[in-house]
Amino acid sequence: MDKFLDLFRGSVNPTVRVEKRFSALRLLIAVAIALFIAFLLMCTVSENPGKDFVTLLVGPLTSKSRTISIFNKLIPLLFTGTAVCLVFSCGQITTACEGAFYFGAVAATVVAVIPGIPAFLHIPLCLLVAAIAGAVIVMIPTWFNVRYGVLTIVVALLVTNVFVFLGQYLVANPLRDPTAGFEASYPFAESAVIPTIGIRHIHLGLIIGLVLVILGYYLLYHTPFGVEIRTVGNNQKFSQYSGINISRTAIVTSLLAGGMAAMGGATEILANYPRFVFTGTTNHGWNGIVIAVLCKNNPKFVPVAAFFLAYLSAAADALNAASKIPPEIINIIQPIIIIFVAATQLLSFWEHRAIVKASEKMLKEEK
Amino acid sequence: MASYIFSLDFWASILRMATPIVFASMAAIIGDQANVLCIGYEGIMLFAALFGALGSALSQSLLVGTLCGMAAGVLLAAFFAYFVLYLDTKPLLAGLGVNTLGSGVTIYVIYLLTGMKLNTSTLPSLQFPDIQIPIVKDIPILGPLVSGHNLMVYLAFVATFFVWFLLFKTKLGLRIRAVGKDPNAAASMGINVKRTKFIALLFSGLLASFGGMYMSMGYMKYFSADMVAGRGFLGIAAQRLGVSNPSLVLVVTIIFGAATAFGIMAQTLPSVNLPSQFASMTPYLATLIGLAIMGEIAIRNKRLKINDIRRKALAEKSGKKE
Repeated sequence: MDKFLDLFRGSVNPTVRVEKRFSALRLLIAVAIALFIAFLLMCTVSENPGKDFVTLLVGPLTSKSRTISIFNKLIPLLFTGTAVCLVFSCGQITTACEGAFYFGAVAATVVAVIPGIPAFLHIPLCLLVAAIAGAVIVMIPTWFNVRYGVLTIVVALLVTNVFVFLGQYLVANPLRDPTAGFEASYPFAESAVIPTIGIRHIHLGLIIGLVLVILGYYLLYHTPFGVEIRTVGNNQKFSQYSGINISRTAIVTSLLAGGMAAMGGATEILANYPRFVFTGTTNHGWNGIVIAVLCKNNPKFVPVAAFFLAYLSAAADALNAASKIPPEIINIIQPIIIIFVAATQLLSFWEHRAIVKASEKMLKEEK
Repeated sequence: MASYIFSLDFWASILRMATPIVFASMAAIIGDQANVLCIGYEGIMLFAALFGALGSALSQSLLVGTLCGMAAGVLLAAFFAYFVLYLDTKPLLAGLGVNTLGSGVTIYVIYLLTGMKLNTSTLPSLQFPDIQIPIVKDIPILGPLVSGHNLMVYLAFVATFFVWFLLFKTKLGLRIRAVGKDPNAAASMGINVKRTKFIALLFSGLLASFGGMYMSMGYMKYFSADMVAGRGFLGIAAQRLGVSNPSLVLVVTIIFGAATAFGIMAQTLPSVNLPSQFASMTPYLATLIGLAIMGEIAIRNKRLKINDIRRKALAEKSGKKE
């Protein structure tokens, strides 16, 4: 009877249960430590750190426009978060999604400034061109890794720099609108502007992003190819022995991820701005990495993690408006969360003790 | 154009561009020999660049500034090492974290001190001096070639020698290499693996922080936000291209420096007039191409070797039959 009940309790294995509990605990500790450090930092700038800290916690909820801005900030993170979950799942630790996001926006701009294409064709065309560009950008580092054995992340940074400068060249020369008065591209054709879904600032990208999250989850956890991806990521030798083509898996995954990240960049620029305005990388790729680490590479949790980051970012904006604290405080909070969440040996002493206790208890019950 | 390439200015420009990458790549060599995937040099360099400049501005002493910069860089390296070695954080994630932390903290501190987020040009920070070598500077041709560069340029060459000496001529270096090659064998000989790796990473951080300090106290006269701009990663690429051999890596970094200097020259010379974006792109593109060429050569050599072995084996077989 007990064993039958265990089926409904989730995992039967006490070790897995304890590990899950401790991984949640580590997440809480990471957030708590990061917020504590944020508070200390605020004390250095602000005259009233207590009030500012409250702004950091609830600032985004104080007005309607700020609450909407959370969701506006969340949309691109759905794209990059899922993309990074995919590449990280196959063991390619890469930052190329940053470049794919930026250059995806550039590539979409190239198509979007062309007038006279019907709307039902124009937007998909923009997204498609962006996706192809992004796929290539994320694929190059992976290709260097599987063919030459170079560290993916190093090539990713080089490739990102190359494409950011290429994008800046395109925007400053062939795409530049001399009548704009400032350095910006020609305005997008009306047929290329991505429409909102009833609420201002909440655009169709939200739906595309959510669909991609679901597709990503389905691909990784419910298809044979997903199993291959995760096997390659977990254990290269094992996947080699079981006959998986490692290079092909890694490259196809990178292509998919790059396409996703670039579509995020394309929707972000086409929905929110009248012309191309990014001057450099936008940090969405880095946020995607934070999301993937928080989700343990499972796209299922991407919306939640993306909401957390979007909330944090909206809070930093609220903080910046209310006091002198620069929004760069986010760039201190986020890496601290990452490093602590990824620290698997944190609390390991207690974790091992809890695992031993739970196993002993189970052994006794079995006797 | 050709006359410029052979001019002294171009040579000085190459050295200026190569110096920070030399320090980063030497740091990467030690990290690689200890077999720790450290990509946090970017953040370490930013820390050292800012705190070195700040220390020198506040104390008006170059020595105190240098010590501040070294301390900041080594401290961040220790933070990285502790999490990677003792708390089992994935090194690539910890490295990314350290880089973002470096960017975030430095911008925050600049804002705190100057009220702006761009640079510390309003603070009276000091620079490393240019060194005129007595006697040598008066020799024609050789004199201006060797003498008159920034102190850090010479230190970069010293660092190359230091890394070679440390790794291949000292007991600690032998231990670092042993721990990197086979931690189990090293442990069985009574070497404390984690502690040795920790020390290696501290040395690595120290070298990277010199690269950072050159950026804010030599290359430029003040610290500006995100001024390291990928040089830490270029250092790792150089280490990779030079297969962790200090003198070979030094040659690679000088080629990088030449590529960068060439890009800048092509941008300023009216006869070429390269768009500035392509000039900024050159070092990264050159590195990518370099990595691809080296990779292809390695693959070809491997294939040739396999063919060679196969041919020998066949020859032996047929020889026996006869």
